[in-house]
Amino acid sequence: MPEPITIFVDDIAIETTEGANVLDAALRAGICIPNLCYLPEVTPTGACRVCIVEVERHGRTKMTAACTLEAREGMIVRAHSEPVLRARRNIVELLLAEAPESPVLQALAERLSVTDVRYSRRDRDCILCGRCVAACAEVAKQGSLGMIGRGANRHKGLPFYKEEYCTQCNECHDRCPLELSPSGRRGDHCGVCGSELSMNDAIPDICEDCVLS
Amino acid sequence: MDLSRLEEILDSKGSETFAIMEVLQDVQEAYRYISEEAIVRISERLDVPVIEVFRLANFYKAFSLTPRGRHLITVCAGTACHVQGAPRLLDTVLALLNTKPGETTADGAFTVETVNCLGACALAPVVVIDGKYYDHMTPGKVRALLEDIRFEDELAEDEDEEEVEAEANA
Repeated sequence: MPEPITIFVDDIAIETTEGANVLDAALRAGICIPNLCYLPEVTPTGACRVCIVEVERHGRTKMTAACTLEAREGMIVRAHSEPVLRARRNIVELLLAEAPESPVLQALAERLSVTDVRYSRRDRDCILCGRCVAACAEVAKQGSLGMIGRGANRHKGLPFYKEEYCTQCNECHDRCPLELSPSGRRGDHCGVCGSELSMNDAIPDICEDCVLS
Repeated sequence: MDLSRLEEILDSKGSETFAIMEVLQDVQEAYRYISEEAIVRISERLDVPVIEVFRLANFYKAFSLTPRGRHLITVCAGTACHVQGAPRLLDTVLALLNTKPGETTADGAFTVETVNCLGACALAPVVVIDGKYYDHMTPGKVRALLEDIRFEDELAEDEDEEEVEAEANA
């Protein structure tokens, strides 16, 4: 049984357990850390870096993704400090350059006051967040999809690019940030940050910025 | 395709997941490429999703997903080799064999590849033919080497034909 501990996120004390996921703990406590690739039902990968936070350890601060950060007793996390916000805006700019047409990314940019993208548009319509790959492996238990290639050539795909390896279960499609659109479906307000973006049927009252789905 | 060699390789490596790289290396060596059939079979035997085996085979340059020729010619295109004339070497090889980098000649004899550095910059420019390093190459030396290989191949073919004929006569 993991030990109950206290961590501090944006100076607010949160009760959680040793080794718990900091992003999840913060969201449960009502502190909205913007995130994108995180799916509560699968192992976090820290692919998108949107949930970036500052962690203070031994008087030094370090930036890391909250979704892959394990909680430790007395941990001090800053999710909305100026350096974090600056880094997060930059990350969202980079993501937008990859997929400018994504409504979810546009909503995320709006929320973070990102108005300009300084990077050249690449229009790849994929931000390599890996939600589809994780859904395929851990939700559908198929393990058909994967990330292929390296560096700039990295892309998602089926073995040999053949459709026959896919069972067409659509678990990947349903979680792709480029397929999803914020607001409208539920029309509820987010129970965490109060925005009108809630669209998650499985976890009601949490907006796509918190638990994008 | 004869999969008996593949089964032998899999039997010798056990069924642990971590054997996957060794298996892929042996399959590459035995068949000169890794076929879809082989990947599916490896996936079954090692209990790893097909995509993971495919990803690995795709990731490493040492593995080929399409059949390689009987002879692999690697021209180093690293900085030192480039400066010492690697582009001219590559052009010579490609023109002689009438192929493109990464592709195999129509007769299946040669595959030409480039590599970014072989760590033998003092020997630049370097060409590797079937695992053997040739240093300080010039277009003329490469041409002679390729002609030697072609000649040896023809000799081997003739010997094969003679053997077949001898058997037929006997």
